[in-house]
Amino acid sequence: MANFFPRWTNWLPIKMIVCLIVLAGGLTAATWYYATPKYTKVGYQPIQPVPFPHDIHVTQLGMDCRYCHSFVEVAAHSNVPNTATCMNCHTQVAKDNPKLQPVEHSWKSGQPVEWVWLYRTVDYVYYNHSAHVNRGISCFSCHGPVNQMSVVHIAQPHSMAWCLDCHRHPENYLRPNDQVFNLDWKPADVKPAEFVAKYGQPSGAREDFSKKKQLTQSEIGLTLKERWKITPPTTCQGCHR
Amino acid sequence: MKRVFHHPPEPSHGTKYWRSLGELENTPEFREWLEREFPAGAAELNGDEWSRRDFVKLMGASMALAGVGLTSCRRPELHLVPFTKNVEWTIPGKFLYYATAMPRRGGGIPLIATTVDGRPIKLEGNPLHPASAGATDTFVQASILDLYDPTRSKRFVQKKKASTREEFEKFLGEFGKTMLDDQGQSLAFLVEETNSPTRERLRVELEKKFPGMRWCVYEPRLGQDANMAMQAAFGANARVLPKFDRADVILALDSDFLDCGEGDLETVRGFTTRRKVSTSKDSMNRLYVVEHRFSLTGAMADHRLRCPASQIPAFAHALATKILGATNDSALGSLLGNSQGGPNSFDQQWIDGVASDLMAKPGASLVLAGPAQPVAVQTLVYAMNAALKNVGQTLVVRQVPRNPKTIDIAQLATDINEGRVKQMFIFGGDPVYNAPRGLVEDPESKTPLDWAELQKKVPNIVRLGYHEDATSALSQWHVPLAHYLESWGDVLTAGGDYLSIQPMILPLFGGVSEIELMNMVLGGPKLEGPELVQETFRLTNPPGDFQTIWSRFLHDGFAAHVQPADQPATFNAGGAAALPRDSSSAPAAPTPEAPEIVLTGSYGMDDGRYANNGWLQELPDPVTRLSWDNVALISPEYAKTVGVETGDLLQITINEKSASGSAMKRELVIAAYVSPGHADNSVSVALGWGRKMPQFDELPYAGGNLKERSGLTEQAGFNGYFLRTAANPYVAVAGAKGVESVQVTRVGRNYPLSIMQEHFSIEGRGLIREATLEGYRNNNDFAKEIPGAEELPHPPPTLYSHPPLDAPQQWGMSIDLNVCTGCSACVIACQAENNIPVVGKLQVAHGRIMHWLRIDRYYASREPFNQDRGHWPEHPEMVFQPMPCQHCENAPCETVCPVNATVHSEDGLNVMAYNRCVGTRFCSNNCPYKVRRFNFFDYTQRPVGKRKIVGALNVFEEYFAPLTTKGAPDTIKLQKNPNVTVRMRGVMEKCSYCVQRIEEAKIAAIARASASPNKLIPRDSFTTACAQACPTEAIVFGDIKDPESGVSKMKKQDRNYRILEYLNVVPRTSYLARLRNPNPKMPDAKDIGIASRVETLPE
Repeated sequence: MANFFPRWTNWLPIKMIVCLIVLAGGLTAATWYYATPKYTKVGYQPIQPVPFPHDIHVTQLGMDCRYCHSFVEVAAHSNVPNTATCMNCHTQVAKDNPKLQPVEHSWKSGQPVEWVWLYRTVDYVYYNHSAHVNRGISCFSCHGPVNQMSVVHIAQPHSMAWCLDCHRHPENYLRPNDQVFNLDWKPADVKPAEFVAKYGQPSGAREDFSKKKQLTQSEIGLTLKERWKITPPTTCQGCHR
Repeated sequence: MKRVFHHPPEPSHGTKYWRSLGELENTPEFREWLEREFPAGAAELNGDEWSRRDFVKLMGASMALAGVGLTSCRRPELHLVPFTKNVEWTIPGKFLYYATAMPRRGGGIPLIATTVDGRPIKLEGNPLHPASAGATDTFVQASILDLYDPTRSKRFVQKKKASTREEFEKFLGEFGKTMLDDQGQSLAFLVEETNSPTRERLRVELEKKFPGMRWCVYEPRLGQDANMAMQAAFGANARVLPKFDRADVILALDSDFLDCGEGDLETVRGFTTRRKVSTSKDSMNRLYVVEHRFSLTGAMADHRLRCPASQIPAFAHALATKILGATNDSALGSLLGNSQGGPNSFDQQWIDGVASDLMAKPGASLVLAGPAQPVAVQTLVYAMNAALKNVGQTLVVRQVPRNPKTIDIAQLATDINEGRVKQMFIFGGDPVYNAPRGLVEDPESKTPLDWAELQKKVPNIVRLGYHEDATSALSQWHVPLAHYLESWGDVLTAGGDYLSIQPMILPLFGGVSEIELMNMVLGGPKLEGPELVQETFRLTNPPGDFQTIWSRFLHDGFAAHVQPADQPATFNAGGAAALPRDSSSAPAAPTPEAPEIVLTGSYGMDDGRYANNGWLQELPDPVTRLSWDNVALISPEYAKTVGVETGDLLQITINEKSASGSAMKRELVIAAYVSPGHADNSVSVALGWGRKMPQFDELPYAGGNLKERSGLTEQAGFNGYFLRTAANPYVAVAGAKGVESVQVTRVGRNYPLSIMQEHFSIEGRGLIREATLEGYRNNNDFAKEIPGAEELPHPPPTLYSHPPLDAPQQWGMSIDLNVCTGCSACVIACQAENNIPVVGKLQVAHGRIMHWLRIDRYYASREPFNQDRGHWPEHPEMVFQPMPCQHCENAPCETVCPVNATVHSEDGLNVMAYNRCVGTRFCSNNCPYKVRRFNFFDYTQRPVGKRKIVGALNVFEEYFAPLTTKGAPDTIKLQKNPNVTVRMRGVMEKCSYCVQRIEEAKIAAIARASASPNKLIPRDSFTTACAQACPTEAIVFGDIKDPESGVSKMKKQDRNYRILEYLNVVPRTSYLARLRNPNPKMPDAKDIGIASRVETLPE
């Protein structure tokens, strides 16, 4: 009986398997890269009704975050300002600027300005601003250098893994509580002697921090974590209810 | 290999706890409920119509369609919308609390309303005022849902056509002129009791303007007789308040004072404070109950006597004779002298025992009669209390001014019948539904007339109603009524304290409040705010600056300067004896051929006013464990006589002769329910059900038309008001008050009922532990012992490691079974707090109710079921056991979850991550307490069990996923708690110990701690929704690591036990064993409260 299958078919199964592996691997890799919040979220920069420049307001004019986001220390939500808050200044300053027209209109008509929602956590996540900003976590850690942004974009992925990175190792992000709203703060700004006088140092530290020239983030973080008893929740109910 | 855990063997001797007659009989149906977490078929779509395969076919098609429509991957752009100007006190997303009050016929209940972003979402009791002392009842908790009822009245209606407020105001202007023409001679108001001083003030103003007007108050559940007796005995303005906290011995004659429809929160609390026992040295009050059906009060009784309601007068007479014999009280003697008491068949020893116990505590005993009892009983009870020196001690009298011009509904009906009423205002209520039948006789045809026909005789009726119901349909104008959370108002508590009602939200659908409408009738200026209430408040002479004290009044919710005091009062025997008394008030005992029919209140529907409330419709009746229906309760013995079982239809026929001699026949077909502990030859029907509501079948997610139901009208329950006449409002028994005959026959058909008594049955021993007070004193550790314990392995084996549980605060709960009355306020509070959906009657029947907290009701009896003689226990006791998630430290559910959706938190909670749950239901199969609930359908998103939708596919009823419109009504969404996830289909859920409250408290503590390590939550500074609602503080929640916390103190008591402890699951919820306080001199004393005693078999 003649060969029913030609000779080249001997390799066919192996070729198919190799192709499948490559395809599956490629798909996995593509999903890994393209379907995670790191790709889908970071850099999202929608057009807002009013192109509010944070850089001018914060860096040039030196306004505090809490002037507009006034309830960030007491509430779960960090509120966006009411039209009235804008109009505190803009009845005097730049009042004829055409870019401010929507605010002007809102003020006159009573209809609110509809800002595009950037940092939208999903409904089953119960994030609370007051629990973070009161305990040495800066706006910067989650929102990036907003004070440098002329148009706000998403700076961090805000995925669950990203949240847990900090909840498991808060020392990498903690800073003195008076520097929470200073987005330009760096560990190098800390004066070791002053810091130790105020906050002490971890009980297990091998060297005297006050003698050091400069403190690292993790040295600062570990000190504060121990001093304030920071134990971020890592079980479900911390964020999901 | 599968190993089956063997519970310790059941003792063959001693008392047994059982949930249903089915359990006693050990029927296959009961085994099914016991052995399976979900009954066969519950996990499938409705078996007879839909196979799983059909479902997959249909789903396949919808998936394909969905694929075509897959267009966008980005999430939709949403907006942040701030206020233009800041609103006072408002912080976006934060709760705000306001004091207000709920008006009720028995007196207002002071409340704190929780609002978020301008919408009220939850009600709690006002802890500053003793009338609620921080607690609430089922009706308060459920009233928030009424506010958002999507079928409530939303428009002005004139002659069945939609109209506007302007039109109505125009009409009212002209209407007012016609009413003035004859000084209001032809004007009538029919209202409900609201105890509002402002309404009373406006009424007086109306009476000045229209001197001839009539003012009629009709409350179906307020006894006219009780009121008459109270006024005759203690004066026209007297209000008698029982003080349970001062009473050592209480006798309740057909009085269900633990039901908040009849008593109130203060009576419940007063009673249970005297049943709180922390050590064996503490004392307890003693409760005797004589009643025809098992009530909440009967369940708490130490001694309970089954007695037909029509025989209570005879019982009261026999008891009064005994008391008279011992005290020689002249007032009691004069009353007894002119009331007859025939020979009675009561157990003399029982009566002797009660009488001597009452007399042993003069001034600290209390005798009560329910509102259903006739004048003769009411006056006799007051006289007995006077003879026992209780007046002024346990029975205090307060003066609450009453307007003497108030008439009753029979008087109003006569006036209408004789053509004297031309204009009528009806505020609230639904008289077409709930007025007594045959109030008057047609002058021409001499046939009895119902209210509906009377209403047709009045040319102009303005109805202010919450729904466009049957009464509105027979009125010329219908005006939408505002909810009490939408309007300004005021109310007096039962004791006469002055409470404020302030609106939480503007009227959602342009509703008008009673006082607003009265102001319109008076032609007063248009209202902007609380002007009317402020004017009344001014009359109380508030001290100091008016604005300040008014603000204080609103802030606190009550006026501290109005302090009604107890009046010294004496029983006026002459007045009481002068009351007209029906000569036949002591009818013969009912027989199987001529049973008595008793109309009672309902624990869910009250008098029918909550008919459109899905929470209360679905709430299982605490005693019968039945939801979505009412039934005719009968005793097992009587059921055998009639030849029916639970669910069989009965026909009740009452033939009555009215005062003028015309015949009146009243009939009702109703399902029977065999209720152990019910009096023989007595049939109880709860009022308040079967009310026809507009768009009733569109009640959100409350469908579930059972196929067998065709032929019966669309209804929830059966309307007991069909059996009610003015002469016999509560009890109908042949031979009394014109009743000629009472017949109960079986129809021969069946009616499907959703009874939950066997659902979630727990296997195991020692679920309920109970002793007498004396037994407890003899053996302080009785609660630690269970029968058969010696057969259990010790220590219990374990396979899994114990979780670390290293948080500084650890949460736990303790439930005191001794003060749990089974009222179910906790169940509704939980439902309101945790966004628990209503699933509908059919789903409930399948065992798919979603309540996170259920209350198990057990009967206890010594005599076992005798299969040969078919004999049921006659005098069972009743015990309630609230059953939330037990939060086991070694949780069996966690070890079987394949996706780690249920895990342990560091503070001891057994938590559910809904987003991880894939719906295997392994966890609930492994839960020994059966507290896990599965979302078989998208109960919050899509209607379940609506009518036929896809005819060609022959698809009926249950669930159509993509074929129905998605989304709940907007108003229902407004009620949802924003801090709790709304669960979807395919997700397991269960009690979370109100984790949202724990986390809120933790976050608040962290935010307060700021740059310091002091982040502990202050002791007992918050609690769960169930514990907060509980009127008796039976449920206590808190930190069990803190030895000074309330819950730790409770857990340290020697009555503390954990159910199924021998499984080594280490539950965080524990119970305090039940105690009863029987009188050793009573004949039944030896059988009471010894249920869980470990007994040795007789040699």
